[in-house]
Amino acid sequence: MADLIIFLTLLALGYGFGRYAENKHYKLIIKREKELNHIPAIASKIPPFRRQDLKSQLVAGNVVISVDFFKRFIAGLRNIFGGRVTSYETLLDRARREAILRMKQEAKNLDAEFIFNIKLETSSIYKGRKNSVGSVEVLAYGTAMYSK
Amino acid sequence: MEYSNQELPEGINTSKENPLKEFLVLSIGLLAVVFAVIFILILLVDNFADKIPFEMEKDLPVSSFIKNMKTEKMSPYLEKVTQKVLNTFELPAGMTITFHYVNDDTVNAFATLAGHIVLYRGLLEKLKHEDELAMVIAHEIAHIKYRHPILSVSHGIVVGIALTAISSSSGNSIVNDIMGTTGSAALMKFSRDYEYQADKDAINSLIKLYGHADGALGLFKVFESVAGKDLSFEFLATHPLTGNRISQTTKMINDRRLSHRNTMIEFPKEFKSWLKKQQEKSEV
Repeated sequence: MADLIIFLTLLALGYGFGRYAENKHYKLIIKREKELNHIPAIASKIPPFRRQDLKSQLVAGNVVISVDFFKRFIAGLRNIFGGRVTSYETLLDRARREAILRMKQEAKNLDAEFIFNIKLETSSIYKGRKNSVGSVEVLAYGTAMYSK
Repeated sequence: MEYSNQELPEGINTSKENPLKEFLVLSIGLLAVVFAVIFILILLVDNFADKIPFEMEKDLPVSSFIKNMKTEKMSPYLEKVTQKVLNTFELPAGMTITFHYVNDDTVNAFATLAGHIVLYRGLLEKLKHEDELAMVIAHEIAHIKYRHPILSVSHGIVVGIALTAISSSSGNSIVNDIMGTTGSAALMKFSRDYEYQADKDAINSLIKLYGHADGALGLFKVFESVAGKDLSFEFLATHPLTGNRISQTTKMINDRRLSHRNTMIEFPKEFKSWLKKQQEKSEV
């Protein structure tokens, strides 16, 4: 009985706070993406154009986001039935975009013109009880080119 | 070459659907699957569990469990009532019932494998009338008559194995906990059905003995006074809520057009003093 109440409370808290945090985060992400859109982020390994007047520097941004109880529970159910784990999709989408934004922020501080050779790395930095995913880390890094 | 970053379109990598919908579909699906599997298994088990010979129950380690319980000799009155109640039952051939008394404060009585019934002093002290005592004894005898102990043990084993098999492949501890709770909720459904069935037989036995079934109502009132009003959910309990047991009893009494408020037989003085001595003995 007590277990059930604790479980439902955690679930409700996870849903309420998780949903609030996610909506807030998405609004912020979209706003900042517009602000930083003037710095192109390019995935190709070599710079798209050769210019001798630019200097290069590594820029990186990383973020750690925790899975909430509700998302973890839904993902656990998905383990049984299979299918698209939508609760983790938004989590990773947010984490990747946030990491890129932080990287771009660093580039903006350098007055960079563009960033190329962008790479993303994702890892779960903490395994919860019995190896359930606790939180994810996303690291975005690339080479920023800025004027000498 | 001109490079520019377009604004990212939303809704490709993520789903706009409310996660509550997914949650409802998945959890109802899981509960339905677990319930269905367990019910089918239990029905299959029931087909052969009650065909296990009663004699074989005696070979199970339950006898040593009972021996370790420090059972003591019953008072002649207690002995007399147990026999009186036992005589109202028609037990299947080969079934024997052994009564045990334990000098302990525990407010309980139970029936287990191989026809053992254990009565605790704690429960006897809470009772005031022979009718109530007869209800306790008859209820436990009915459990054995219907072979509820062996059925419950079989259910527990089969459901345990099935849930372990399912949960070991799911790999998520929270989901495993939920499946465990669902499994025990399913088991408890059967357990409660057994309680109702035992109550029914016990009430019939009371009517044979005393011509009325007020002992049952008296006993349930004692339960209420000991545990207070039930506030929990019935689906998570091994026993039905006392209120529901009272309703079933009242319905049976009304169906048979028996009268309420008959006088019940009080415990004789010698039994009361025996109980008192027992309690003093346990305190030493």
